[in-house]
Amino acid sequence: MALLKPRTEVKIGSLVLKNPVMTASGTFGYGEEYAPYIDLNRLGAVVVKGISLEPRRGNPPPRIMETPGGMLNAIGLQNVGVKAFIGDKLPWLRQFDTKIIVNIFGETLEEYGKVAAALSGVDGIHALEVNISCPNVQKGGHVFGCDPDASHGVTKIVKSATDLPVIVKLSPNVSDITEIARSCEAAGADALSLINTLLGMSIDIERRIPHLRNVTGGLSGPVVKPVAVRMVWNTVRAVSIPVIGIGGIMESDDALEFLIAGAKAVQVGTANFVNPKATMEIVEGIESYLVRHGIGDVNELIGSLRTE
Amino acid sequence: MGSSQDGIDRIDGTDWKDEYSMLTKADMTATILANAEVAPEHYLMKLAVSGAFRDAQPGQFVMLRPVGRGFPFLGRPLGIYSLAENGSGARIEILYRAAGRGTKVISTLCEGDRIEILGPLGNRFELKPGMKTAVLVAGGIGIAPLVFLAERLSAKATPEGPKMILYIGARDSANLLGIDRMKSFGAEVRVSTDDGSAGYEGPVTDLFREDLLSFNASKTEVFVCGPNPMLKRMGAIIADHPIRCQVLMEERMACGMGACLGCTIEVRTPTGVEYRQVCTDGPVFDLREIIWR
Repeated sequence: MALLKPRTEVKIGSLVLKNPVMTASGTFGYGEEYAPYIDLNRLGAVVVKGISLEPRRGNPPPRIMETPGGMLNAIGLQNVGVKAFIGDKLPWLRQFDTKIIVNIFGETLEEYGKVAAALSGVDGIHALEVNISCPNVQKGGHVFGCDPDASHGVTKIVKSATDLPVIVKLSPNVSDITEIARSCEAAGADALSLINTLLGMSIDIERRIPHLRNVTGGLSGPVVKPVAVRMVWNTVRAVSIPVIGIGGIMESDDALEFLIAGAKAVQVGTANFVNPKATMEIVEGIESYLVRHGIGDVNELIGSLRTE
Repeated sequence: MGSSQDGIDRIDGTDWKDEYSMLTKADMTATILANAEVAPEHYLMKLAVSGAFRDAQPGQFVMLRPVGRGFPFLGRPLGIYSLAENGSGARIEILYRAAGRGTKVISTLCEGDRIEILGPLGNRFELKPGMKTAVLVAGGIGIAPLVFLAERLSAKATPEGPKMILYIGARDSANLLGIDRMKSFGAEVRVSTDDGSAGYEGPVTDLFREDLLSFNASKTEVFVCGPNPMLKRMGAIIADHPIRCQVLMEERMACGMGACLGCTIEVRTPTGVEYRQVCTDGPVFDLREIIWR
C-alpha cells in the first residue's frame, strides 16, 4: 500500500506556510549563505537577519563563545539597513517559492514604525517579525520587550504602519512571558514567536575577563530547549493567536515537541551554524513522524499534548 | 514518505560551487585515516574527503566536528595542511594544536572514525604572476596553512621561481613542525625558538627584519600566520616598507560560512574603521589593514 504524503501546511493568521519549518532570524543571513547546502524552496518560511532603519555595524569582537550545549552571542544586530535589504538582498531571495518574513527592530517607537512602513507593500515580503528585545533609547535603555506597556506600544505602532501580518518575537528574560504575550495580543499582534535568546555570561578565568567584549550575550542552542518548550506551553494557553516555537531545535524530534506543546510552527536557529542542512532534515523528519504515527495532517498534531 | 524525490537526494556529483548546487550528506562527513600526535599537544589528522575538496586552495579552511558527541557543540575552524587527489575524492591533512577543550576532543578520535566536515571555506592567498620570491613567516602552529601554500607553489614552480624562504619560530625545538616538508618543497629555512633550543634565540620576526631590506619589494610576496602578538610585530616591521604581506587570521567561529557574524575583526579602510568576517572576507587579509587591540 502506498503511503500518502501527509499534509504539512499550517496557517499563521493569514499567512500560509507549506510546512511549519522556518529559519530563525540572525542565524540564516539573508538566505544566500545557505543556498549551496539546502533547497530554500522546501522551507516553510525564511526569517531574515533583523533589519533596522539605518545599517548597523554591530558590537566589537569577540562576539561569540561556545558554552556547554550551546553558545553565547553578542553580535549587536549588525545589518545592512532597510534600504540595502530591499535593494540588494530581497531580489535574490524573492526567486524562491517560500514565504519571506522580515525581522525588524528599532531603538525608538518611531523607528519601529518607520522600518515597518518602509517594508510594507514591497513585493516578496509576506510578514514582519518584530524583535522587541531591543533597548529603548528614549526610556534609558530599558528593553521594550521586558515591559507589557512598551511591548503593547511597539506592537501597536507596527500594526498601524503596515498591512502585513505582524509576528511579535518575545524575550524569555522576563518574570512572566504570558503577561507580555497578552499585551501584544491586545495591541493587535497576529502571532507571537518565542523564545529569543536567554541572557548569559561566560568568563575567561586565566585572564579574568569576560569572553565577550559586550560582557553579556544571548544564550542559544540545545541547552535552552526545555525552557523554550515550557514558555511556549504556557503562552499557547494564555493567548488565542498562533504561537511559533523557537529555542534549541537541532532535529525533528525537538521541533515535534514544540508542535505537540501547541506551537503552530517552529524556527530553527543555532542548528543552522552547526549543520547547514538542519532545516531540510527537520522538514523530512516531521513528515516521516506523521507517516509513522498515521497522522494525515500536521494540524492534528499541534497542541495534542496529553497531560493527564 | 513523500520527499525522497526532492532536494538532498538528487544532487550527487554536482560541484559545490555551482550557484544552486548542494552538498550531499556524504560530502559533509569524512573518514579519519590517521590522527597521530606528532609533537607535544600537536596532531596530524589525515582525512578521506569527497571530491568537493579537490578545488581547495591555500589559505582555505574546514570546520571539523566530531559526530554524535555533546561537546564540542560548534565545529572548529582548522586550516588545510596538505591536499592530494584520491580517485574521485581527495585526501586532506590537518595539522593542529590541541590547545582548547574542543580540539582536545578532536585529538582523541581514531582511524576509521567519521567526522563532520564543512568546506573548503574562506578566500585564499593571492598569488601574483610576477612573484619571484615567496617569503613565508610562521609562528607555532601557524606553519600549517603555509605548508599547503608551499606545496602548491612548489608544484607550480619554474626555474624562474618563485624561490621560497621560510622563517619559522616556536617556543622550543619540540614545537617546530613542518620543516622537513618545507625543505622537500625546496624552501630555504631559517629557525628561531624562544628558548634557543634550535636556531636563533628570540622571536622569528627578528630574523625576518634582518633580511627585509634584501628583498625586492615588487617581486616578493610575504605570507604570514601565527599568534596575534607575532602578527602585530610583523605589521610594525613592514609598516614603512613597500613589501606586500598577506596574513591568515584566526578567530572563534560558529558557522564558518558568513551567517553567524561571530568572527569579526577590525580593519582600517580609506573610509575609516570597518568590521570584516574572518570566515568569508578572509581568512586571508592584507596585514596592513588589520587593527590590533
